[in-house]
Amino acid sequence: MRKLLISFLMTAAIPAFMADALAQDAKVSPKSIYDSTCSACHGPGILGAPKFGDAAQWAPRAKAGIDALVKSAVAGTTKGMPPKGGRMDLSDAQLRGVIEYMMAGGAPAASTAKAPAASTAPAAKAAVVASPPAPATKPAAPAAVAQPVATAAPGAVAAAPNPPLTPEVNAFNRLLKPLGKFNRPAVESGIHDPANDMTLQLQPPAAAFAQLPKSMAGNHVDWVKALDGKAIAPRWDRNDPAAAAIVMDLNIVREVKGSMPDVVYPHKQHTEWLDCSNCHPAIFIPQKGANQISMASILLGQKCGVCHGKVAFPVSECRLCHSRKKAVAASAGEAKP
Amino acid sequence: MKFLRLLLATVALALALGSTVHAEYGDVVINNYSDAAGMRPVVFPHWFHRVRFRCKVCHADLGFQFKAGGNEINMLKIIDGQFCGACHNGEIAWSVENCNLCHSGKPNTGTHVHESTLQKLAAPAHAASAAAQAPARK
Repeated sequence: MRKLLISFLMTAAIPAFMADALAQDAKVSPKSIYDSTCSACHGPGILGAPKFGDAAQWAPRAKAGIDALVKSAVAGTTKGMPPKGGRMDLSDAQLRGVIEYMMAGGAPAASTAKAPAASTAPAAKAAVVASPPAPATKPAAPAAVAQPVATAAPGAVAAAPNPPLTPEVNAFNRLLKPLGKFNRPAVESGIHDPANDMTLQLQPPAAAFAQLPKSMAGNHVDWVKALDGKAIAPRWDRNDPAAAAIVMDLNIVREVKGSMPDVVYPHKQHTEWLDCSNCHPAIFIPQKGANQISMASILLGQKCGVCHGKVAFPVSECRLCHSRKKAVAASAGEAKP
Repeated sequence: MKFLRLLLATVALALALGSTVHAEYGDVVINNYSDAAGMRPVVFPHWFHRVRFRCKVCHADLGFQFKAGGNEINMLKIIDGQFCGACHNGEIAWSVENCNLCHSGKPNTGTHVHESTLQKLAAPAHAASAAAQAPARK
């Protein structure tokens, strides 16, 4: 319900406010950026920040050129300046403008163009200052006309000259895939080209997975259960639907270091999908004690990691492999006085 | 008010960026030759094939290596019945005339397994989304 409400709000609000915001951007002058943000530190010179209009402080910093200053402002400094001064919405051109504004102490001499033009007339300067966000204003027009959010949003992305890398720095679980963002259709995948005529014909994963048992990771499908419960009937032979897998039921227990439960490797579930030759002898030498396996190598895509973490269930599902409690560890713990 | 507008713009941008990285676990982008040949890269959906075939069919019988881009597949091999062409021949699965069903990737997307552990380790989500954006912006 909340999602619906949000998406409705977005649909309703974006075209209007986007155009508004972009138009606003075009109007934002270095002065207003300075007044609203930079002045907090660059006014009084907090944490060693070069003061507004103080040529003596700015000169050594400007030696490397304005590009270096912009770069430093974008990255932030070890002394305490946050990246882009905390204004992730600012483009490099806007930062350059406001740096020049601070260096000049508000004098109308600076230009936002690369070559400093000292003798630019105030009128011409206004035009130049307005020019950096100009690419943003162009797509704003179609965005403002177009009602559906789908057309407005890509317009906005293309319009941002330098989209922030971390749009939501303090978002909860920002490195995790949010709920409801998996099993999306190809057109939303980010690796399919939405402009391709046949992308829309590709089956959405969610449609295929509707009847399959769920899991918490990967495709969010429990493939082993799906096969066991006959929810799917993948062929063992390319041509013969009746061919049956040659299943071997043999568990291999690997005792592992520390307190992690030991690994029980089931041949059964693997041989239902795979041929012996898929793993032996290239990945695993079929001999007890002959294989060095570590989580590090698995994370790097070797050993179990050839499949687990790429297509079989990912390494986040620790307990699916580390499934046998250590009897020794428990009794040793009890034996302690 | 200004702050609210900024916040909304950020959220909109986040949504727009976020919407670009929802490919399915195990999707493989294969771009060994496609870009150079002026075709979109191939996106191979593991999940779709897994519903219909065991791993063994492709990875043992047809000789696909367990490595994205590790099989030097080209259209000649496919029409000769190797690799994808073993099934995509109009008998077991639809045939090669449907170019864009496979060649459906965003141009300039590199060969990779989507959402692999290595990809996740090497690049945090925001960098990955930026990388996904980069080809689109070109």
